[in-house]
Amino acid sequence: MDLDRALSISAAGMSAQSTRLRVVAENIANRDSTGQSPGADPYRRKTVSFGSRLDRSLGAETVRVSRIGQAPGSFPERFEPSHPAADARGYVKTPNVDSMIENMDMREANRSYSANLAVLETTRGMLMRAIETLR
Amino acid sequence: MDLTRSSPMSLAESRLAWLDTRQRLLSQNVANADTPGFRSSDAVPFRQVLDRRRASAAMVTTDASHLTPPRANSLAVQDRRVSERTPNGNAVSLDEQAIRIAETDQAHALAMGLHRKYVGLFRTALGR
Repeated sequence: MDLDRALSISAAGMSAQSTRLRVVAENIANRDSTGQSPGADPYRRKTVSFGSRLDRSLGAETVRVSRIGQAPGSFPERFEPSHPAADARGYVKTPNVDSMIENMDMREANRSYSANLAVLETTRGMLMRAIETLR
Repeated sequence: MDLTRSSPMSLAESRLAWLDTRQRLLSQNVANADTPGFRSSDAVPFRQVLDRRRASAAMVTTDASHLTPPRANSLAVQDRRVSERTPNGNAVSLDEQAIRIAETDQAHALAMGLHRKYVGLFRTALGR
């Protein structure tokens, strides 16, 4: 039945968005994770890629997280000679996590999650209405 | 008199089936609202579905080697007009989808109401 499939598709969307939110949480939590040894690389920001996948059992295109990658780019440096991860010049590499970008990503995930939830509720209402006629 | 074949019943039934399919397509769009390169699709207008049924000149497969026309029975059609497109090629507008979903919900309530009223008519005739 199509309504059941619609429920599964929305559920897939919600799970993909929650994975994205998990990655955002990881990034924010590791905002200050520097390396341990002198000159070592700190935490590298993780990125989420979505892809649509044809679910054969559903016969519909659901969404899933296709890849959790790592953001390229150089690390910002901070002058702190007493830090254990400071290199010969006294600079410490800090993670390439920008709290503004993470914040924006978080809001977008939230918005998409809500949209999926709204569809789920509407579909559920339609299903309930159909069930009501059996009474 | 066959109750299920009489017109308001079968009309409500096909309308509901169409609305079910439409809801599935719309939920697919919303789920893929952040997928790069995804384009939204919608169900073909209900009028077309009815016309198709009336015309019923579908090709019959009498042999296993016959080809079936790919989109003859498909209800999905990709949106031609795109109101917004993000840099990653995604062309799903959540607002537009929300309006369509509300429309579908309303139409579903209407078709369900028609069905119930019609069944009620028979109930009254039966004295229950």
